[in-house]
Amino acid sequence: MPGVYFTTTEFIDDAKSAAKDRGMPGIRMIALPADKYYRARATHEELQPIANAVFDQMIDDLVRPLTADEAKPSQIQKQKENTNLTVTGADYQDGYQKVNDLFLESRWADGLPIVPPTPVLVKAMLAATTRSPGEVLGQVAPKNGTATVEKIAVNAVMAGAKPEYFPVILAAMDGFLDKHYDLTHMQASTGSFTPVVIVNGPLAKELDFNSGIGMLGHGWRANSTVGRAIRLSLLNIGQTWPAVNDMALTGRFEAYTFFTFAEDEAKSPWEPYSVSLGFKPDDSTVTVATSGTPIVLGGGAVAPWTAQGILDTVVARSSSPFLWVHSQTFVLVLHPDCAYELGKMGYTRKSLQEYLYEHTKVPFEKMTSATTGFGHDSAITEIQASIDDGRIRPDRAQIFRDALKPGGKVPIVQSPDDFHIFVAGGSPGYSLLFSYPGPNWANETKKVSGATLTKAGH
Amino acid sequence: MNRHSSWLLGAALACVSLFMAGTAAAQVSLEVMNPRGEIPPPPTRGISPRATSLDGKKIVLVDNGKFGADNFLYVVAQLIKQKYPNTTVVMDPKPSAQTITDLPKWYPTVKQQGDLFVFGVGD
Repeated sequence: MPGVYFTTTEFIDDAKSAAKDRGMPGIRMIALPADKYYRARATHEELQPIANAVFDQMIDDLVRPLTADEAKPSQIQKQKENTNLTVTGADYQDGYQKVNDLFLESRWADGLPIVPPTPVLVKAMLAATTRSPGEVLGQVAPKNGTATVEKIAVNAVMAGAKPEYFPVILAAMDGFLDKHYDLTHMQASTGSFTPVVIVNGPLAKELDFNSGIGMLGHGWRANSTVGRAIRLSLLNIGQTWPAVNDMALTGRFEAYTFFTFAEDEAKSPWEPYSVSLGFKPDDSTVTVATSGTPIVLGGGAVAPWTAQGILDTVVARSSSPFLWVHSQTFVLVLHPDCAYELGKMGYTRKSLQEYLYEHTKVPFEKMTSATTGFGHDSAITEIQASIDDGRIRPDRAQIFRDALKPGGKVPIVQSPDDFHIFVAGGSPGYSLLFSYPGPNWANETKKVSGATLTKAGH
Repeated sequence: MNRHSSWLLGAALACVSLFMAGTAAAQVSLEVMNPRGEIPPPPTRGISPRATSLDGKKIVLVDNGKFGADNFLYVVAQLIKQKYPNTTVVMDPKPSAQTITDLPKWYPTVKQQGDLFVFGVGD
């Protein structure tokens, strides 16, 4: 079916890149001027001159005969990415600088200095795992680059990670590359999403992950370089670049290291998060989740707060009619004092999840009048479609069927488990609510395995 | 060339040689590994043959649901009706929750409705 694709000048490179990635480089596209279109798009009158200006091109693109290359494009050749490079400098400092210049100019770095990934350092990184260098963990979106253990090791060296951290980095990548995880949305969306990476189990302590004051900040090598190794792996193996095919409009908050920290299991009144999922207490795990910017809860050191007040805020900030109930998840990070108070009030992690699930439900009558702010389907139509096509799990479908009628209360997530509750932060501290409003699933927990240099994680 | 200037030239050459030797000794070659993932190239496909004319054809305007796309395509629809009166316009909003990965599901519904399509406004 002949067609024409409209985009804007800000997205034309992204569109061309995506068309090539999907094997159709010849798609005819028209780029509307971004500086005019986005300001004019609210009214027909303001859009008229923009449409007038491109109309003839649109018609021509629909009827102009195809060129030979459009009809049968030549096969895209595989780029060789396995050749080592040799950089020569007048001395070590000059060579180091030249490697950094080369990597940044090639778009293989994040803008901060990198450690040159020499074969010796990569070999040392690989020695930290029993996993084979050639093992393929999956394809990294958006360009579907092949993530091997060795490629991730190269990026881990660049990030400055200690070899001991490498099995944690691999487990995180296992999570992002799980077949259920929508990595494309995180990597490419205008929404500027940032991954959350949370470590549980004995490796968190052994590797000195920060889970207390400053857990999202600088100063801890494990937090900083594990997050950065993931950042660089996603950038380089998925081959993304800002404004080319990573369209995060503001860039990502915590762009260089993502939100990487450990659960403070010692200060939690509950079992470790990983144990609540069924992992053993001596297992170490990594949870990865896509998130928007977190909401900060509580008063910190300066203002009064109550645990109930924090729960009330979580409910107030998250209970709203929502299209993508089937994939919405929350990561709630309670600071230790708040968790302690909730424990004293009798909450377990499970009962707290159920509390949030129940109290965030939206009355059906509010759903019927809701504008979702995206697309044309009402939330009700969309949730119904999610039931019909199985995106809402069959074991939860009846709950939603019963809710989608007058007097019903519609859950904002599929099940209480979709509130993922961790304990971390300072005392005094703030709690954090990370939420993911994406169209597909983006939350996984994986066990760390194959570690050779640490007591845990084997 | 007198003896004195020969001596100076010899001394200068010796200095240059020493400097070069020093430079060569200090020069560093760093072998580094490529951090990028190899991309298995997808099979390439051509685009569909174009219509020879718009007469009697149905054009489906596919609205991707992003704010303002419906307005833009509405204006385009009016222009088509005005300039190509023998052409029919079908407005088709893309189901909002369907992303690119769902393309195989919603594309057939577009195909059923017309002969050509216009998609917008992509971001």
